[in-house]
Amino acid sequence: MGQAPNGVSKLSSAADKLFSKKEGSASRNFFLSALWWSLWGMSAGMLAGLEFSAPDLVRNVPQLAFPHLRMFHVNAVTIGWLSMGYVGSMFHMVPALCKTKLWSERLGNMTMWAWNLVMVGAFCTLLNGNTEGREYAELGTILDVMVATALVLVALNIYMTILDRRVKKLYVSLWYFLGSLFWFPLVYIIGQRTFVSLPGLNDAIIGWFYGHNILGMWFTTVGVGMMYYLLPRLTQAPLYSHGLSMLGFWGIALFYAPTGTHHILQSPVPEWLKAIAVISSIFLLVPVLTVLTNFFMTMKGRWGMVVTDMPLRFAVTSSMFYLVTCVQGPFQATRWVNWYLHFTQWVVGHAHLALLGTFSFILTSSVYYSLPRITGKEMYSQGLIRAHYWLKFLGFLLMMTSLTTAGLVQSAGWAMGIPVDQWGLTIRPYWFLRSISGIMIVLGQFLFAYNVWKTLYQKPVPTVAPVAAKTEVKA
Amino acid sequence: MHSYRLGAIGIVVTFFIIIFSTVLLPMVLFNPKDSQHGNDYTKIDKKIANAERGRQIYVREGCFYCHTQFTRLQDRGYGPLVKAGDYVWETPHQLGTARTGPDLTNEGNRMPSEWQKTHLINPRTVKPGSIMPSFSYLSARDMNDLVGYLQSLGNRREVKNFVEAPEEYRTTTELGRALANRKTVDTNSSAAANAGRGIYTQNCAVCHGLEGYGNGPNALSLEKKPPNFSRPYYKQYSDEFWFYRTSEGVVGNRMPRWNEILTEEQRWYVVAYLKTLQQDSEVTINSIDQLNKIEDVHLPKLSNQQYEPHHGGHDYAPGADSMGHGEAAPAPTPTTTPSSTKPAPSSTSGSTTTAPAHAPANEGGH
Repeated sequence: MGQAPNGVSKLSSAADKLFSKKEGSASRNFFLSALWWSLWGMSAGMLAGLEFSAPDLVRNVPQLAFPHLRMFHVNAVTIGWLSMGYVGSMFHMVPALCKTKLWSERLGNMTMWAWNLVMVGAFCTLLNGNTEGREYAELGTILDVMVATALVLVALNIYMTILDRRVKKLYVSLWYFLGSLFWFPLVYIIGQRTFVSLPGLNDAIIGWFYGHNILGMWFTTVGVGMMYYLLPRLTQAPLYSHGLSMLGFWGIALFYAPTGTHHILQSPVPEWLKAIAVISSIFLLVPVLTVLTNFFMTMKGRWGMVVTDMPLRFAVTSSMFYLVTCVQGPFQATRWVNWYLHFTQWVVGHAHLALLGTFSFILTSSVYYSLPRITGKEMYSQGLIRAHYWLKFLGFLLMMTSLTTAGLVQSAGWAMGIPVDQWGLTIRPYWFLRSISGIMIVLGQFLFAYNVWKTLYQKPVPTVAPVAAKTEVKA
Repeated sequence: MHSYRLGAIGIVVTFFIIIFSTVLLPMVLFNPKDSQHGNDYTKIDKKIANAERGRQIYVREGCFYCHTQFTRLQDRGYGPLVKAGDYVWETPHQLGTARTGPDLTNEGNRMPSEWQKTHLINPRTVKPGSIMPSFSYLSARDMNDLVGYLQSLGNRREVKNFVEAPEEYRTTTELGRALANRKTVDTNSSAAANAGRGIYTQNCAVCHGLEGYGNGPNALSLEKKPPNFSRPYYKQYSDEFWFYRTSEGVVGNRMPRWNEILTEEQRWYVVAYLKTLQQDSEVTINSIDQLNKIEDVHLPKLSNQQYEPHHGGHDYAPGADSMGHGEAAPAPTPTTTPSSTKPAPSSTSGSTTTAPAHAPANEGGH
């Protein structure tokens, strides 16, 4: 790990280790950090889920009270696991697509440490309830500034890498990465409202602009870019249509950003804003179906490969869940469905479908694909990958069905005006099933981490470095 | 390279258009004025509990993950509907997006403070089956302020008028003032009410019932039932609203536009009568026996067979009855005349009581 110490001083060797210049080290370190925080974040989510079934499981420990766990869970899996994993993937994929090196590995590693510092800060503050009290934007002032800075540094690194490229044309994944890295830092800065104090409802409007666009302008766009990279690479097949992929890109760019207000459709915010949100939510079906057509046509005749190719299986599962998410989303954004379904666990199920079912799966696929190529070591155990897949997949299906059913029960309760005390008891079985599903998913994630650990540190003899198959990706 | 420059411009421009429309535009166009109905954090003496600090505890403990703070039209039992001006001072907003627990918009004064405190410390002692976490770790001061905050929640909006007549009936407009000027009837006088009673009996009672319970003979066959005027709810109706309803009818049901039938003066008399029908508690009509009997309104009564065109006429055969139309009572003689005083079979529904309106015509036709 790192370069050989040159003996000049211990300090510089330590700096070389921490801020390594070795090719691929930034990507690898981002992946490892992402995995580390995923264990914390998902465990927090699991414990929070357990507290639904057993509310008195933990008493008198403020750090483990449900609301604090929930804050930390959301931030650890979004800012920690998914975002760090995304940056790691981009640090691997962008140089590969540009046939060049990352502009600055050292800068990448510095960003990685800054990001980890943010997560340590999040761990210390959120579990103690030091929050800004805004959903998805809980982090405090200093951490906000650090995240924004880290994002800008990542953007700089990627942009410079793309400027240094040795291929002429930009593949569609690069479009997605470029777009996301321009949009998301701005969305983040606007959405935090750290230094401004807006009247309540304006605060809510901006809050949900941010809350939805952390998905729309970051998790979706980078995730779809990763799928565009992984599917042709894993199947050794050219992308079905470049034109279609560009249509999807511009569709997402246009229709995703204004949808935020559909989270507060029934609050007294202006009707025209709600109308914009609902209409663009429905229009989102266009880019989504375009993107998925492209994926499925690329997979055509190669579906059998998912039996043996585990990263591909993760990627394909992810695209299937993406289809479900993106049909469900416009459906529940329409006024009358929202009238019935809002405020319930159905929405929580939908959020998990997007972040866990779709984007966590594609990130997992990316890690399983990229890590052996960065480190030159085969994954330690295919069996563990399979176990991980099934635990996560079945666990997620169980979570999705139990949350959705619980949501429908709650919806009926609200719609019929039945007091919470009465329907509260009827959804206990679903809370229980959700706890089970949480345990399965966390177990799967621990197997994942163990597998990566073994791959990197416990296997002294590396196998022959697999040649990263440079497929003919139709540019 | 040129095309990428275009693409880059596209990414930037797209984004700023969206920022403009969904972030800047609402900031400029949407500036609700303080409705004076927001949560009043000064209501409670600061020496007793600091509600503003309690709000910080509420935020710190993440209550908004499970409790919302806005009421919707369809929410029952959570108090009056909120308005945009209620939230001017609520930053960061605590609207919330999920209701694992109840809505807290109007939580203030719903429960005693001691109950709130007990519920926060151990929710299941006062609400068995609740899954709310215990907040027993809060310090005494935090707990006190949090309860103070909860007790100050509420938009203090007492609803007097849920409904109001359209502008053109109210004195705020030229039309409304002209209407008021033409009005010669004192709608509060019992003389006007007596006059209205006659008009009501002749025109309205057939659906609304003699006492206004919504139990007129026609009511049985209506898909949208007439209202029960004995409900205290109708006490809030203004004269103008009553007049508007009487004049323009109700879209979507069979209530006619009486302005085409009754004169303005007659309608004001009816309004005067309608205003006398409300009682302190609603008179419920829950049995078919309480329906205004046809004999009470002295309308001719026919048997079902004579009303139904297929069974009407003198050559009606009793045998056909058992074939399928399931009339429980033995068929009355088919030749019952319209003026017969024999009671109709009570087991039949709908068509029996609707018969009078159409009966003479049918009788003639068959």
